[in-house]
Amino acid sequence: MAVPFGQPEESAIAHPDTDLARAAPLPLRPRAAGEVRLSSKRTGGAVSTLDGLRQAGCFRALFPDHDGPGLTAMLLNTAGGVTGGDRLRLTARAGARSRLSLTTQAAERIYAASSGETGRITNSLSLDSGARLDWLPQETILFDQGVLRRALTVDMEPDATLLAVEPLILGRPAHGELLRQVALRDQIRVSRGGELIQADALRLVGDATAILSGPATGNGLGAFAALIYAAPDADAFLDPLRALLPAPSAASLIRDGLLLARLAAPDAFTLRRILIPALTLLHGHALPRSWTL
Amino acid sequence: MTRPVSDPGLTLSQLFSPAFPVGSFAYSHGLEAAIADGRIGTAAELQAWLRDVLAHGAGRNDALLLAAAHAAAGPDDLARVDALSRALVPSSERLRETVLQGAAFARTVADVWGIDLKPLSYPVAAGRAARLLGLPPEATARHYLLAMASTLVSVAVRLVPLGQTEGQQVLAALVPLCAALAAETADGDLDEIGGAAILSDLAGMRHETMETRVFRS
Repeated sequence: MAVPFGQPEESAIAHPDTDLARAAPLPLRPRAAGEVRLSSKRTGGAVSTLDGLRQAGCFRALFPDHDGPGLTAMLLNTAGGVTGGDRLRLTARAGARSRLSLTTQAAERIYAASSGETGRITNSLSLDSGARLDWLPQETILFDQGVLRRALTVDMEPDATLLAVEPLILGRPAHGELLRQVALRDQIRVSRGGELIQADALRLVGDATAILSGPATGNGLGAFAALIYAAPDADAFLDPLRALLPAPSAASLIRDGLLLARLAAPDAFTLRRILIPALTLLHGHALPRSWTL
Repeated sequence: MTRPVSDPGLTLSQLFSPAFPVGSFAYSHGLEAAIADGRIGTAAELQAWLRDVLAHGAGRNDALLLAAAHAAAGPDDLARVDALSRALVPSSERLRETVLQGAAFARTVADVWGIDLKPLSYPVAAGRAARLLGLPPEATARHYLLAMASTLVSVAVRLVPLGQTEGQQVLAALVPLCAALAAETADGDLDEIGGAAILSDLAGMRHETMETRVFRS
């Protein structure tokens, strides 16, 4: 499928110093580094368009045409996975009253960190007044010896709408893979109007297969997702969302305007069968095409 | 401002005794739903569930928050720990569980010992109270964790049901874990917050839709 880039690599986004800018030249491999900064704006006629884009290294954004409401950006890690020492950074802003959807071209694979170093993925999202941002990455697949610190930080205005999902697959159990030594620290922080309203912290350090075999952890299941919907109309989605979630998956309206669902399934395929209807409900449209290709 | 007590060990026993009026008997932390779903029918299954909740769920995280609250440099620092504590809670009933127990704990401690202790989520109130009363944080976390386990054992003894002796056997078996977790989290390093008690979280969410229930979470 031809996906037009169609956008300049450099743009008007201010680009203050970042790790990337400060970093010494990186060896070609095993370390990979990439950064995408982008923002959307609303133009006349309720159309959301790209406001600015800057990309560097192994991390790219593509903009498929006619793929959902508003502006859809599809992120691509050209390094083909994350291993120890890799750095990926995304900074995205949905400008006032614009709608921005972010997805990934494929699942992100977290491979063995042979160097003993930590891979780092840092995703920072901000939502201006009346904006909507849908964070719809495909699955992260964690393999044995994977070492990753990931942070998703969201800063939203009180009247903005956020849908965010992070699906996680533990290796490929069908292939008998066990995750005997991993270190995953996956942090989500959502602040609304400057107040921290949701913190989700997944921590798997050591023998993940053993940890997740417990009855109150994973009960031997291998595919999970956290799903956050923070919006003025969140309350209205609690019952319809619950109706789509088979046990043991479930949802709660933790406080006004904040829904959290957790999904748990045996494998990636089963997880998708639950996740796609749930996300479609909250997204309000068909999911980006990369989800169904 | 601080008011060190004369016998920290006995004061910790008092603070985390079932008789201390925080209302913990009203909450099951999702256990009621897990029992109703048939996930816990024996003492061994209860012990495995509680081991997960302590080591990979609210137990370890609360111990970290308690230690961080104890070490908090000032009101802003304490408020940040409390905000994180509340934001980490994965469901509305569980949020009430920690907020209401924490408020009752803080109010009682403030009244009894004459210290200034505002309403805080439960682990943060416990850590702050320990700081103001001169109680060692690691010992406070040990008592806190054992009290959490004890509350949940009582739930299971009543609902599964299990014998009182079986319940105490489970609790005794969890004592070393409580001590190890308190030691591991003593630095209060909030970068290490997090867990994997996914099915415990889900049980807490599913509790909210149970048609008949005895407990408030």
